[in-house]
Amino acid sequence: MELVIKDLHANIGDKEILKGVNLTVTPGTIHAIMGPNGSGKSTLSNTIMGHPSYTVTGGEVWYKGQNVLELPVDERAKLGLFLAFQYPVSIPGVTVANFLRAAVNAHRAVAGKDPRETAIPMAQYRKEIREKMAALGVDDGFARRYLNDGFSGGEKKRVEILQMSMLKPSMAIMDETDSGLDIDALKVVSQGVNTLLTQNPEMGVLVITHYQRLLNYIKPNRVSVMMEGRIVREGGPELALELEERGYDFIREEVFGNAN
Amino acid sequence: MLTKLPVIAALTAQDILVEGEPTWLQQWRQAAWQHVNESAPPLWRRTDLTAYALADMEFTPTASESQRGSAVPDGVVVMPLSQAVHAHGDLVKAHLGSAVAFNASKYAALNAATWRDGWFVYVPKNHEASVPLHLLQGFGSGNTLVARNLVVLERGAQLSLIEQYAGDGGPFAVVASELILGDGATLQYTSMQTWGATVHHMGHQVAKVGNDATIVWTAVNTGAAHQHIDAETYLGGNGSRVNWTAATVAGDGQRLLTAPWLRHVGRATEAHMDFKTVVKGSGYATFDGMIKIEGGSADTITRLEEHALHLSPQARSDSIPGLKIDTNNVQKAGHASTSGEVDDEQLFYMQARGIPKSDAVHMIVMGFFESVLDRIPLDTLREQVTADIAARI
Repeated sequence: MELVIKDLHANIGDKEILKGVNLTVTPGTIHAIMGPNGSGKSTLSNTIMGHPSYTVTGGEVWYKGQNVLELPVDERAKLGLFLAFQYPVSIPGVTVANFLRAAVNAHRAVAGKDPRETAIPMAQYRKEIREKMAALGVDDGFARRYLNDGFSGGEKKRVEILQMSMLKPSMAIMDETDSGLDIDALKVVSQGVNTLLTQNPEMGVLVITHYQRLLNYIKPNRVSVMMEGRIVREGGPELALELEERGYDFIREEVFGNAN
Repeated sequence: MLTKLPVIAALTAQDILVEGEPTWLQQWRQAAWQHVNESAPPLWRRTDLTAYALADMEFTPTASESQRGSAVPDGVVVMPLSQAVHAHGDLVKAHLGSAVAFNASKYAALNAATWRDGWFVYVPKNHEASVPLHLLQGFGSGNTLVARNLVVLERGAQLSLIEQYAGDGGPFAVVASELILGDGATLQYTSMQTWGATVHHMGHQVAKVGNDATIVWTAVNTGAAHQHIDAETYLGGNGSRVNWTAATVAGDGQRLLTAPWLRHVGRATEAHMDFKTVVKGSGYATFDGMIKIEGGSADTITRLEEHALHLSPQARSDSIPGLKIDTNNVQKAGHASTSGEVDDEQLFYMQARGIPKSDAVHMIVMGFFESVLDRIPLDTLREQVTADIAARI
């Protein structure tokens, strides 16, 4: 199913950040959103997921026949949306293993059924998380550590991808996943995403990034450019390369003119 | 046959004595009793003293059935304090009142004068107790429990002790704990107030820590309607250390206060304090803590952290941390305090993974307490307390 964003407006406090975003992400495609700092990229991902600091002042986001803006955050996740956070928060006292099990079980829960019936069997869960951690080069001991507590930047991002591969979303939004990653970590993380794509070819991925670098490893089918709260340009993968070469200014000039 | 028990306020100096006790102890009780009668009420602004009126407390002249939650570790002396007065008279005489002085407050005096219940625990020199000792104290007859625990670890001794107040009844509990750690001794002390919901708990606890001795103090306070606990770690020995954590849950109708003092006296003493509080419904919790770095101390390292989570708008927590330094020679002194609702960013993160909000709050709160509850040494007890807290959130 497509993710369709229609004329989305959102504020932080009184400040309008999204000024009418229109975007469609089709299943089975990797869709990159590029843009300079402050263009509203992260606001877009957080607004789709329902972050409480952002107020939607207009527009719709349709997925699987529902306007997700009307759903509680956890229902959006259960619909198949996944946000890989730019800055994953730490939750002291809650281990990676317990957190992920709660998340997996929340996805498996069925209204009106005893959650113990729908929960993933412990042995199966252990096997799965161990396999996925190994694939991402995450040490076994990680499962027992408190979620993101004292994790390095690279560890946090790996654990984001670990969660993604355990929850198997149908539409993943990756918010600046490359920020704070060295090249080795970037390769591991990208490989994790690509593996997931091979296993779930119908998954849609919205990759939000400032730089072209990540797109060398996660190759987009579509590229949209965001500036000043709007999508101002769309194209194929070649657009990302052009941006890498020429920077954002030439688009700025084309869109907003030479006034400044 | 039911005899009406007299209230404590109506007792005479003769009534409080126990037949057959040694003269020194009788004199001590009498001196304490005098303090009960002559001292002014404590100036505790956040404790409702009408909940601890001596005119409401019944006097039970005999000890209640003493209980233990575990076997006695090999080589450790564990017996009711009332028996130890005779069986280990010299030890009791040497230490009784040395940590919790009867003039610490009117209620410390009340405890000293009228105690019947409580335990004596003695670990001989260099002895390492192999298993945790669990002392469990409930109410006996009468509406008032007056219990006193005296715990003595000789040089190099090691013990894990759980002291738990639990059950319904009372409602008045006036208790005191004295913990004496000899040089190089290590005490893992788990202090649990898990009374039923109607109890009025008044406690005094003091640990005196010898040279290079260590106390790992874990407090869990979840029960009672009223709680006032004056607690102190007296780092008297050079190189003495304390690692002190606490988990407090104050729900509807509960008023729980803890006043923990860290007193640095020796050279190169080190303290880490991390208290965690959750208030819910109409619950009210107070942290009235103090770090006191005394004049003769040197090279002190001390840190106090205190964090409170509010799960409802009516719930209240007061935090009054203090730091008094009477020396120019402090290596490190720090303090951190937070208070507020469950973090929105954490909630959003968990909900974004499909976890419903109520479950997310639950996990965050239990995670908040994890580092404290994780230190309860007995698996069954830890699981029970964890489940009790989880059920209340």
